[in-house]
Amino acid sequence: MRGRPLLVTNYADDQAMLKSTTQTVMAGLFLLFLVCIPLFAPGAIGGGESRIPGPTFLAGADWLKLLSELGIFAMAALGLNILSGLAGQVSLGHAFFMGLGAYTAAVLGSGPGALWGVGLPIWVWLPMAGLIPAAVGIVISPTAVRVRGLYLAIVTLGLVFIGEYVWRNLDFITGGSQSGRNFPALQVRLWREEEALLDLEASGTWLGFLNLSGEGKFYLFILALTVLFVIVAKNIQRSRVGRAFQAIRDRDVAAEIMGVDEFRYKTLAFAISSFYAGVAGALLAVEVGRTIPEQWDLLLSVEIIAIVLIGGAGSISGVLMGSAFVVLLPRLVQDFGNLLQQSAASGGVLATIFDPILSTGPGDFGVVNLSPGVAPGLGILQLNTLIYGLLIIAFLIFEPLGLYGVWVRIRNYWKGWPFTY
Amino acid sequence: MLVDWLSLGSIYALLAVGFVIIFKSTQVLNFAHGALAALGAFLVASMATILQIPGRWMGSAPVWLKWTSSALVALAAAALIGLILERLFIRPMLGEGLFSVAIVTLGLDIVIRTVSNDFMGTNPRPLGFPGGTASLDLGWVVIPWNVVVSVIVTLVAVVLIATFFLSRTGVAMRATAFDQEAARAQGINVGRIFSLAWAIGSVMAAVAGIFLSVFPRRSTGVDTATAFLAFAAFPAIILGGLDSIVGAVVGGYAIGLAQAAVTEFLSNNPSFAFLGSGFGGVVPYVLMLLVLLIKPYGLFGTEEIRRV
Amino acid sequence: MRTILKLVTLVTVLAMVLAACGGGDDGPDDTTAETTAETTAETTAETTAETTAETTAETMADTTVAGGEAPSGDIATDVGVDLEAGTITIGMLSDLTGPFGPLVTAIVAGAEAYWADVNANGGINGLTVNLEVRDTAYDIPTHVQFYEELRTQVAAFGHSTGSPHTVAINPQLQEDGILAIPLTWYSGWTDPAINANLMHHGVPYCIESMNLIEYVVNERGGTTIAIASLPGDYGLDSAAGAVIAAEELGLEVVYDGTGQLNPTDESTFTSVSNGIAESGAEIVFVTATPSVFASVYGQALQGGFEATWTGAGPSWNVAFVAPDSAIRDAIARDFVGNAYTDVWDGASQGAQEATALMGDAEPTDNYNEGIVESTILHQALLRAYENGDMTQQGILDAAKSLEAVSFNGLAPDESYTGDANAQLQRTGNIFVPNLDAVTGTEVVAANYVSDLAENYDFTEACYTLE
Repeated sequence: MRGRPLLVTNYADDQAMLKSTTQTVMAGLFLLFLVCIPLFAPGAIGGGESRIPGPTFLAGADWLKLLSELGIFAMAALGLNILSGLAGQVSLGHAFFMGLGAYTAAVLGSGPGALWGVGLPIWVWLPMAGLIPAAVGIVISPTAVRVRGLYLAIVTLGLVFIGEYVWRNLDFITGGSQSGRNFPALQVRLWREEEALLDLEASGTWLGFLNLSGEGKFYLFILALTVLFVIVAKNIQRSRVGRAFQAIRDRDVAAEIMGVDEFRYKTLAFAISSFYAGVAGALLAVEVGRTIPEQWDLLLSVEIIAIVLIGGAGSISGVLMGSAFVVLLPRLVQDFGNLLQQSAASGGVLATIFDPILSTGPGDFGVVNLSPGVAPGLGILQLNTLIYGLLIIAFLIFEPLGLYGVWVRIRNYWKGWPFTY
Repeated sequence: MLVDWLSLGSIYALLAVGFVIIFKSTQVLNFAHGALAALGAFLVASMATILQIPGRWMGSAPVWLKWTSSALVALAAAALIGLILERLFIRPMLGEGLFSVAIVTLGLDIVIRTVSNDFMGTNPRPLGFPGGTASLDLGWVVIPWNVVVSVIVTLVAVVLIATFFLSRTGVAMRATAFDQEAARAQGINVGRIFSLAWAIGSVMAAVAGIFLSVFPRRSTGVDTATAFLAFAAFPAIILGGLDSIVGAVVGGYAIGLAQAAVTEFLSNNPSFAFLGSGFGGVVPYVLMLLVLLIKPYGLFGTEEIRRV
Repeated sequence: MRTILKLVTLVTVLAMVLAACGGGDDGPDDTTAETTAETTAETTAETTAETTAETTAETMADTTVAGGEAPSGDIATDVGVDLEAGTITIGMLSDLTGPFGPLVTAIVAGAEAYWADVNANGGINGLTVNLEVRDTAYDIPTHVQFYEELRTQVAAFGHSTGSPHTVAINPQLQEDGILAIPLTWYSGWTDPAINANLMHHGVPYCIESMNLIEYVVNERGGTTIAIASLPGDYGLDSAAGAVIAAEELGLEVVYDGTGQLNPTDESTFTSVSNGIAESGAEIVFVTATPSVFASVYGQALQGGFEATWTGAGPSWNVAFVAPDSAIRDAIARDFVGNAYTDVWDGASQGAQEATALMGDAEPTDNYNEGIVESTILHQALLRAYENGDMTQQGILDAAKSLEAVSFNGLAPDESYTGDANAQLQRTGNIFVPNLDAVTGTEVVAANYVSDLAENYDFTEACYTLE
């Protein structure tokens, strides 16, 4: 019986995280690849020239930052996925909880100065960055549980606006509108001692032979946390709690009749999702290094929703794919734009192919503009925004299951290949 | 304060009415409404000042007539854009869950803003509104003509729409909102109802956009921030209930009054300075939360009957 | 039990993986230099010495060095300068679509025109300067992200829009040893504590406020003042200067709305303009974005309020006096502003050259700032070339060794010697709206330095950006 992927003989197997050996091996290899990324850089091991083979560009500082951001957004989206994808509660308020987590981290983690700061070590501020938003989520949830459907969406929208107002005015915590504050460096300390045990943002040698850039260390830290958060989310999903959430999502009244305490589970869903959002918000702020109150706005909420929808609501691997898509796409478009620009400058083939939609000077009309401010047409940043908006629409219209749905279809096709059924 | 209330209230009411029309007949929560308002205002700005359509062919006609005809052309364009958007992006979602469609409009909001901002450029665009800064002096209060016009337009629009909902097409619209399949079974062309609702909705958004970008609210005209200012109309919609035209108007003026009064109160009472800047701006949201705590479907909204 | 076993296995596997990575095959590496800035910084001197030795001879042959003599030795390079291809890449972190879009778009256009002209006339001793413009939309995460992308591609940053944004990348700039020219007139940029990698220019907001208020008091009179501003360094620094000026000149502050305006919240415009109108001030000082300024002005005007209005440079926009503007005539009567540079088609030689340079581009005063900042960078690049060190650090050192930069009157000359107080720029250009002028403005006091600004003893920034 062993080794047959689709044959399930007991409940435990049906609920397993990784359902087949192939899946386990693939996931393991993928994780191995992710762990090794910072080591692709020259001189990562034992100094000097040695490096393990792999895409060098991924180990560049900017890509490592981008990949860390991917992990952070994935954490935030995992939280929203539990609330919206599993429990069916629509929330536009995710940005508020992310901001709350960020400022909790800033107050607890930064040293005392002109702005409030307590200067506690990371093992205090990082969990608190999740717990405080979770507590606030519980406090707010009675309102949210009372209203349903689209009304809930608008209530949570109000939360974002009220949150922005609060952040702007608590200037002793947030640094005030348009000026912001710096965030604690990612350093591991036992307590408030001078010398950090582990500095995750400074380049240097680890364990005597691993020569990692600061970005590389930060990336590994985020990767570890993301894996942890994925495992927790997966376990929530396949446990009693997760099933209760899904029952509420599918029909709340029916769930209640079956004995699911609607109020309790909705509150729990809010708390869990706010915990995820808070931790992600704190890490995002630490990664950027400085944030202003205006950063925690509706667009951030929309971005997280887009991740969940593009990935496929309710699916964890979907959320991961969605984050990769939403976070990496702007960079890819940007790089492609640069390529076009170089090509246009040297009269290359690419520019000739794309000439009809390209605008290179004031007299040249085109949809895409390579010299911003001078020629008509969309700049690269605008093009990114436009693609992003269109993708949200396109996925909802053509593939409501998101990237996860696309993946399942591709997988099923190859499973039966060359037979259609 | 009276001026502030009337101008804010009219804008909120106009935005809310357009929003409710779309929701009432298609069950779409339209997050792109602010973007449509800004786009409408930009269309008016282009027609009236840059392109001068149809003013350039009107010779020596008075300025207000030229401007009004330009505005009408722009509103027609806005209606057309509403039709196109509905056909392209909303129609395929017919029958899908309410929330999926709402998120489609969030995507739509991004798309419209990006494209219209690109055409608009980064400088604010004046609308050339002939009212200028002239005011009506009633002796005890001075009201800019623009505000007077906005109140009249709001009231006329609401009366027209309320009458329209009593007509045959209006009834069809309400039937569609109630149950799309049943309406179709009764011989109602649901697609056409959708188109009509979006056309009217975009025109209402554009009208609100005009008043949002003229004196005394925005002296330089429509700019890239205009689309965001319209989000403040959401509390008005919720307050009145998502599906009530009367509720939208009452909600709009009530929220406008609350915001104007609080703003006025705070600027006269320095002892409340601890509330910081922008408290007036969140008053609508706070009010909305309070109302929803007591009445989860707004003041005039239809309560959803919960069934298994 | 099973799960524990699985966990143990997982940990073991991971440990083995790390070990495997550690002992991994040492494939030969052919792309050493270009990938990371840090690693190359130390090794450049050696690696580039050999590679450039052959190529420089050819590229140097057909160029002449303006000013100094051509360095006969080698030129050290690391990132952003490619002697073989003959290019220098400069990064620009610009707000093209955010709140200061209109201003910065024109500034970028000015910089592009400037470098196109430099390149057409031989470039930097034969090296062509290319700009890598990134639109940050005035968003800090985007700003940081583009910095990360460009730091391994560019020799220096031609500008970095926004003070909190620049502060956000400042630690990284210092770690990487890269030069950036802040496109913000924050008064703290002369402070040696934070400007190790920055080149200040133009009169800072705080001093600008003193100039404006003293000018208004002298020319138009008034004993009461109302002050309002956006939050953030821009508004608060500017308002801080206004408060100092009011105190020194004996003006009574009848309304203080410092930091009260918020561009995305309309209620704040109303509340501030109510406050201003009710205070009955004779002078109103508002520092904001143009559309916020116009809304506050318009709402106060509607209540029949009249005063002399002034505010920091970026508050003004030519749209105020556009033919279709509702406030056109009123604001032409009421406004007094400051420009950091001379205006379009201004009287100075520099302004004439700049106008000629822009050719038939749509006239606006804002190109000039792009030319001014590019001039500073140009001087730094020439100096770095003379020094024979065009590494990122070399360009930074060259810029920091500049003693003064002159702009032929396009902007007041900058001095980079002496303490912060000596380096502080105090000179601005006072303008008023002029409905007949091409760009809607007319300079009424060129190179204006008020007594207040002249005697101001700078010890620290007027507003501290934490």
